[in-house]
Amino acid sequence: MNYILHLGTFFGIYAILGISLNLLVGGTGLIWIAHAAIFGLGAYVLALLMTKVALNFFLAAFLGMCIAGIVGCIAAWVFARLSGDYYMLASVAFNYIIVSVFINWESLTNGPLGISGISRPSLFGISFAGNESFFALTFLFLGLVYVSARLIMHSSFGRVIKAIREDEEAIRVFGYHTLLYKIMISGIAAAMAALAGALFASYIAFIDPSNFHVMESIFILGIVVVGGFASIRGSLLGALILVLLPEVLRFAGFPQDISAHMQQLVYGIVLILFMLYRPQGLIGEYKF
Amino acid sequence: MEIFAQLVANSVIAGATYTILTLGFNLIYGATRFTNMAYGVVAATGGYAFFFLTRTVGLPMIPSIIAGALFSGVVGVLTDRLIFSPLRKKNVRPSVHVIASLGAFVAIQALLSIFFGAEFWTLLPSGTVRVFDVAGASVTEVQWWIMGIAAAVSGLLFVVLRFTLFGKVVRALSDDEEVGKMLGINTDRTIGIVFFIGSMIAGLGGILVGFDTGIQPTMGLFILIEAAVPSIIGGIGNLAGGVIAAFLFGFVENFGIWFIASQWKAAIAFGLLTLFLIFKPEGIMGKK
Repeated sequence: MNYILHLGTFFGIYAILGISLNLLVGGTGLIWIAHAAIFGLGAYVLALLMTKVALNFFLAAFLGMCIAGIVGCIAAWVFARLSGDYYMLASVAFNYIIVSVFINWESLTNGPLGISGISRPSLFGISFAGNESFFALTFLFLGLVYVSARLIMHSSFGRVIKAIREDEEAIRVFGYHTLLYKIMISGIAAAMAALAGALFASYIAFIDPSNFHVMESIFILGIVVVGGFASIRGSLLGALILVLLPEVLRFAGFPQDISAHMQQLVYGIVLILFMLYRPQGLIGEYKF
Repeated sequence: MEIFAQLVANSVIAGATYTILTLGFNLIYGATRFTNMAYGVVAATGGYAFFFLTRTVGLPMIPSIIAGALFSGVVGVLTDRLIFSPLRKKNVRPSVHVIASLGAFVAIQALLSIFFGAEFWTLLPSGTVRVFDVAGASVTEVQWWIMGIAAAVSGLLFVVLRFTLFGKVVRALSDDEEVGKMLGINTDRTIGIVFFIGSMIAGLGGILVGFDTGIQPTMGLFILIEAAVPSIIGGIGNLAGGVIAAFLFGFVENFGIWFIASQWKAAIAFGLLTLFLIFKPEGIMGKK
């Protein structure tokens, strides 16, 4: 039972990541390989606020979302001039720089050793320390993220975002200030990713910079690729498949030290196969 | 003054390595028009092939360097034949190529970890290294090798591109693939050959990086950036600009870590990339 709750909680966290990245990637059509850095930002802000100044989880998570949201907006504004490959390379650079800060700002982040002893949430005397209640909390947040993502994509705001993806020049001619839209969607996606980071940090109680590397960003992009671009439901499916895949491989019985690399190998091959045979993902509406 | 001389020497040596990396990257980019994220890890396979041949098989240095570079060439061609050539025939957007190359990057890195372990290896046998004194800076024998190979490769590539029919075909292809097709050039085959040559150069670069810093499966991403930064600064597709930028990059990086601290080396490289992407995306010598 605990095992299923554990997988369920992880699924919830990664589904939030997938959905938020899909708002950005599926919305704007640009490849963003820095979601793990934003995820990490949320996790680090929460961990620091909870362990150093004993702030309540919910308040700390909210502050993390605000900070990440602002960082997301700034990144979108700075990178707005870039398109295609350059945008993607810049995002890789961005991820690298953020992780460098996690590693090298030792007085604050404790460097490569990371931060431990992050506690589970509690609010008005209700504790979410148990695995069941934490699972429920994660799903509550996932539900909120899912509903807001759908509302965003089906609102007039979402339609403008999709139009930017299809033809930015054309929508600009109609008088839309496209930069503003890109900055806003980026801020929203970053805040959601930071929420996932807060849940992650509180759930496993220990974070270090290696959790938030470029490889992790590629993994999160994999959720979007498998599920389907611009499909919010697809991201749920993608997260489910990519969270369960390692468990399947675990039962295949590879030795412990090999199995992590086997997982990576399978992820890589999955990405290639999807691009070759199903670039729109399992239930995606948009062919990249 | 001695520190200054040493910094200049280190910058030139780094610049020589980056020259090789950037030449291969630029060559492939010119023919395919997308950022091949697997480029760095293909370079790493050359370093590993060299490691295997010298340590396990016991071949001498020079044949191992040649065989290592050839091995990378073969790996590069395989990625083209299995992934990119089929994608070209489907006429998909560049983003699909990029995500597929991310998949290849993840998969090849995983294979390196499975076969050689995730740990770090030095490429050179330990023992006495001959050191030469140049105007107060000490330069090791290996570093002379690095500079010699860089000069030879760039010279050879220049001659091939300038004076052979194949060079003309490649240059026509980088200018305009459609026109190339109309002139009756077998573009798919030519791109395959370009992949082989570019990946061979990459493998050579991977071996040289390995001489300097050792090898690890995760080195690929950083090699990619070390190749992409000078390519972009020099104007992507512009080989001469890339070479100049490679040395510029070497100087900025080495003097940067003297002023700041060596653990920020990666962040300096990525910061420089971001600055150029934002303010001068066409590079110092690029065509608009």
